[in-house]
Amino acid sequence: MMFFYSLMMTALPTDPSEGHAGGDNDIMHHILDHDIIHLPTVFGIDLSISFHTMWMWVATAILLIFLTPLFRKRHIVPRGRVANMIEAMVEFLRQDIIYNYIGKEGKKFEKYLLTVFFFILTNNLMGLVPGGAAATSDISVTATMTLLTLSMVLGAGFAHHGFFGYWKGLIPGGVPGWLIPILFPIEILGILAKHFALTMRLFANMTAGHITILSLIGLVFTFKSYYIAPAPVIVAATIGILEVLVAFLQAYIFTLLSGVFIGASVHQDH
Amino acid sequence: MDLLTPDTGLMFWTVITFAILYIVLGRFVWKPVGEVLDEREARLKDSLEKAETAQKNAEEALKKNEEMIAQARQEVQELIAKGKKTADSMHEEIIANAKNEAATLIERAGKEIKLEQEKALDEIRKLAVELSISATTKVIGKVLSEKEHQQLVSQSFKDLGELN
Repeated sequence: MMFFYSLMMTALPTDPSEGHAGGDNDIMHHILDHDIIHLPTVFGIDLSISFHTMWMWVATAILLIFLTPLFRKRHIVPRGRVANMIEAMVEFLRQDIIYNYIGKEGKKFEKYLLTVFFFILTNNLMGLVPGGAAATSDISVTATMTLLTLSMVLGAGFAHHGFFGYWKGLIPGGVPGWLIPILFPIEILGILAKHFALTMRLFANMTAGHITILSLIGLVFTFKSYYIAPAPVIVAATIGILEVLVAFLQAYIFTLLSGVFIGASVHQDH
Repeated sequence: MDLLTPDTGLMFWTVITFAILYIVLGRFVWKPVGEVLDEREARLKDSLEKAETAQKNAEEALKKNEEMIAQARQEVQELIAKGKKTADSMHEEIIANAKNEAATLIERAGKEIKLEQEKALDEIRKLAVELSISATTKVIGKVLSEKEHQQLVSQSFKDLGELN
């Protein structure tokens, strides 16, 4: 039984600012971000390195360290399991999202969408590391990713149809003139709503998983009994496995929708 | 820090981190991977096409070979048939020649035999004449006159002719 207890302790995020308002058993306290290194505020931006920033950098470092040396030599015949796996994922994303939804213009957005997928995926998986945290369970990160996608969408639209052409293209052809003043704000709202949903989807999915796991483990402390411990731990472990699936799924969905939005912006008539 | 309030600091760091990741991965990972995938696709397509052409060529060559073999077989058969014909005709010719020659030989032999026969008969006649002359000389005891002689000879020829 002590084994489970130690397992639970490691499963919880480490908290350097112990004794913070809210108490040790407050789940929100584990979900929310907190600063690790305090840095000055420049132009109204607090540059302090937070817990989520740190884990985002861990994810980035993992990506850079593992992916960068893999393809230094170009092999036509596939080699190595990791390289094969990465190639398979890249090929899948290219065929399934990039060229499927954007078409031949997809080549320009290939790097962006691939980076988005692997960045979000790795960050999602960081949430499953004991003591770790998924930066994607922070709305700041998902909102930033969405803003990047939105700028890609608008940029692609402006590049293909011109600045005014893009806004004009938002209204479907054959609409009576008096409807345009009503339709235009609706279309603008539609774009904003789609991107807002993109932000919330990733953020809520990642946060909900963590809350579920923490709540289940919290049951052990609520009951204060070793005998009750196995059940929540088993369920939490199951949810943890589900979280792996969710990590991949949400990264895929975010990339897919980004690709769809960019594609819709490039091919407005469809 | 609130759950639903974006933190500008983290947003700033996200942009920086993502930009670095985009540049480095784009340069060192996505570009080579994309190129490798494209090249592999192109090569596979190329190899498949080549393999198809090679197969077609091989099939054509096989067909040609078969045709050639069939033609050769036919030619051989024709040659054999021709040879047989020639041999048959030669055979017949040889036999005919042999028959001819044999016939000529037999004919010649017959002629010679007749000639020899006549020669022998002539000799026998001469001998008979001489014998009759000497016999008559002995019987009569005197030499006959030319007239009597001739009479006697013709008489004996007559007798011989009757005997014959």
